[in-house]
Amino acid sequence: MAVAQRSGRSRYRLLLLILTAVTLLTLDFRGYGPLETAQSRVRDVLEPVVSAVDVVLGPVAEVWTVMFSYNDLRSENEQLRAEVDSLRSADIRAAARDDTLDRLLDATGVTYVDDIEQVTASVLRDSVGNFDDDVVSIDVGHRDGVAPGMAVVTAAGLVGRVETVDTGQSTVTVISNPNLVIGVRLIDTGDVGLGHGMAGEQTKFVVDTGLRWPETGDLSELPAIGSAVVTAAGSRYPANIPVGRVAAVEPAEAGLVQLVTVDLAAAVDDLGFVTVLLQVPVDEAPIGPDSPFPEQSP
Amino acid sequence: MTAPQRVSTPMRRGLSSLRASGLMAALRVFLVYMAALLLQLTLFVEVRVVGVAPKLPALVAVLAGLLGGAQKGSLVAFGAGLMWDVYLPTPLGLAAVSFALVAFGLGSVTQDLFHDTRVQTALLAFAGTAASVAVYAVLGEVVGQRGLLDDDLLRIVLVSSAFNAVLSLVVAPAMRWALWGGRVREPSVDSPRAAARIGR
Repeated sequence: MAVAQRSGRSRYRLLLLILTAVTLLTLDFRGYGPLETAQSRVRDVLEPVVSAVDVVLGPVAEVWTVMFSYNDLRSENEQLRAEVDSLRSADIRAAARDDTLDRLLDATGVTYVDDIEQVTASVLRDSVGNFDDDVVSIDVGHRDGVAPGMAVVTAAGLVGRVETVDTGQSTVTVISNPNLVIGVRLIDTGDVGLGHGMAGEQTKFVVDTGLRWPETGDLSELPAIGSAVVTAAGSRYPANIPVGRVAAVEPAEAGLVQLVTVDLAAAVDDLGFVTVLLQVPVDEAPIGPDSPFPEQSP
Repeated sequence: MTAPQRVSTPMRRGLSSLRASGLMAALRVFLVYMAALLLQLTLFVEVRVVGVAPKLPALVAVLAGLLGGAQKGSLVAFGAGLMWDVYLPTPLGLAAVSFALVAFGLGSVTQDLFHDTRVQTALLAFAGTAASVAVYAVLGEVVGQRGLLDDDLLRIVLVSSAFNAVLSLVVAPAMRWALWGGRVREPSVDSPRAAARIGR
């Protein structure tokens, strides 16, 4: 009898735990403020301890890295030397290309974040888990004016979005994360659409919503390979931040929409320093009949 | 007048000693868990094998289920997962419910088994970690998180479970101390068969 009671009690307790978790998940999805504040406080309280332990254990981690990355580092060094050589020869061509891009940007009235306040941050650590390769921690937070949703960039272009903000640090969801949806404009055609990162591909981005395949079948209406892609006005982020260059355009959804693959402008796999654009972000994803981004392509 | 006092005083002492031992156990579990969490947030950000880190919070949860039984283990695992959720980009409660389910399952399944040798504990830690990572990924996809169920999942499951199995050689004694102090664990109090065996 007592055993049956105990067994029932433990099932009852598990049920209570599940219900608690479901409640927390629901509140989290709805962006319940106090819950986010509580998490932020916990991280703030633990941060000095984490930093201290990091300093103590840093040398151990470095020894591990040196032991197991020596061959990688050597081949990376050789690869970098080769790239430096090729860059020397490509310097002139790059200057010409930059000039073309500048003129194109001038023509379309683009100014790349000239009028937005910025704060530079260094990357504290990469992801802590195994499933969050696309999340990094940076050393600026509330006290520096950072807020969730702000755009994070490098000189090359958009690298991500501020996700959680604590007093002195924040986490950034990197642009390669498939869950991060970004409104973009294709400079070549002027079309706007929604895109996101591709799972397992840190250098690619795909625009899969909002771009119709030409009804006439005229392929010249498609964006040119290599043409620039920037953030769109009306997206969650400041307009005209470089995102990347078009790598491929294919038909999708029975040939009704374009699937545009983009090579990301910024290298997000090894970030050292980033810049946060201190512009108050738009909370909601700009999807709907009145927005430039239709909810789903026909 | 004095007789009830004589009876109640030892009872009170017993109750307060029980409460104190429960509190001390909770404190010890908290200390072990915090040590594991700090190692996860610092050392194991860098120390990885083929890009995969061990999952110490999951290991603590699995060992809680294994050593503490389904009831106590699921509670510890839920707390461990909730604390780990604070550092993950996935919604709060996802790791908590995954860990609690696995600890409860593991505690229920293994309550009548012997798992006193290090190899047995390591094997169960491997299985428990694999289950917790898989449950976390599946539930994550169910609640709309993209990129959890992909080609990398098998690699993450195998490497993090193997890592945890090795680390269980160190963490298991710590969890045994945390849950049971200097005492030997009672034969599975949640188990009907064990209870029948010991005449309860």
